[in-house]
Amino acid sequence: MALKDVKSRIASVKNIQKITRAMEMVAAARLRRAEQRIESLRPYAGAVRRMTRQAAEAAGNVPNFPILNEHESEDKIGILLVTGDRGLAGAFNSQIVRAGLRAGIEYEGAGKTTVWYASGRRGVSSLAFRGREAKGAYTGFTDRPSYANAREIAADLVAAYVDGEVDRVEIVYNRYVSALTQEVTRETLLPLQHATIMGDDGADDSLGGRAAEEDAASDHADGKHALVEYEPDPEVILERLIPAYVEISIFRALLESTASEHGARMTAMRNASENAGDIIKDLTLEFNRERQAAITQEIMEVVAGAESLV
Amino acid sequence: MARTPFKVEVLTPEGEVFNDEVEMVSTRTSVGSIGILANHQPLLAMLNPTELRLYKSESEVVRYAQGEGFLQMTGDRALVLVDEVFSVDKLDAADLRDRLKRAEDELASAEEDSEERRQAERDKRRLEAFLKLTESA
Repeated sequence: MALKDVKSRIASVKNIQKITRAMEMVAAARLRRAEQRIESLRPYAGAVRRMTRQAAEAAGNVPNFPILNEHESEDKIGILLVTGDRGLAGAFNSQIVRAGLRAGIEYEGAGKTTVWYASGRRGVSSLAFRGREAKGAYTGFTDRPSYANAREIAADLVAAYVDGEVDRVEIVYNRYVSALTQEVTRETLLPLQHATIMGDDGADDSLGGRAAEEDAASDHADGKHALVEYEPDPEVILERLIPAYVEISIFRALLESTASEHGARMTAMRNASENAGDIIKDLTLEFNRERQAAITQEIMEVVAGAESLV
Repeated sequence: MARTPFKVEVLTPEGEVFNDEVEMVSTRTSVGSIGILANHQPLLAMLNPTELRLYKSESEVVRYAQGEGFLQMTGDRALVLVDEVFSVDKLDAADLRDRLKRAEDELASAEEDSEERRQAERDKRRLEAFLKLTESA
């Protein structure tokens, strides 16, 4: 390769490295913020759980709301894919689409129909590419999902479930483990499980691990048996508290997915920067070799020219 | 007359927005407007979208636009749990009107007695409450 070509390739790889380094740093900063937001949800989720317990105790039991009832036959399965709006994050988006489609094909193989929902542009376009239309497409917020986004998705899913358009809803998202690890997770959103609500053993994780301790502590402080006024009746309060679990579950999945996305992008960009470094090293070696060869060539030409004069 | 202060915590899914002593909390339950003073009887109430006012004193009032939520009064402290809060001056009337229009369209196309209809009604109620706040501000 000519000396000039090598030089310009080094320059362009260096430029790419600058960009990937910058993207890595941006992702790292956003990852920290996303982690904090997962933490911020915990106290709220814990408080919703405590209030539910209190109201359920006052009402005698949790009444049979439609979203708690299993449908008699499970023919129509709703699948919500939680992806990002942007790529350049390694396998982050593709592993969700792959896991979701695999589950969908399994259901279809068993004679069920599937209804698709997707949050994040990547999920929506991947579904379209595979010839599956998303019944609900939610985009434009995956960098920083708000509770209103989760509420919108939950409203659609709950309506579809209660109105009988789907008999079961599953969510597929990247659970955030660490910046390096994201775990593809598939959970059932609807029908809502009694265990999720009352926080029986093992179900605690879904709404924050600290909830159980907080429950125990507050049960004492609240003086459980004090006469409590309810406005309106505890049954009506529960009717709004219970759907909040669906919203919170979706919001948590969106937050975890966002943290996972930034983590995955950070890792992918770090690898890209390291790769660029390797390429630059190789190219620099080649450049030096070429340069020396050129110098040697010139010296030999000068010597040969001088010799011919003698 | 100065009233007895008590602790109030306002929690949203995005974190704590307020945690301080106030003299009175004013908000709206599904039954009607309510003002909470110190030593109120234990209460669990369902809140509808409205203006949440936290009276630190007669003259110093912290105001938010709140979405749906719950209020729990236990002993000497109140916990206000709402799905979202905004400062009133951050509400965008034009945007709210747009969204209200959409919610009304959805409501019109939703079938009678469907969950879809109930969700649209809920959206409409929230947007109307916020819109009213922007008009009074």
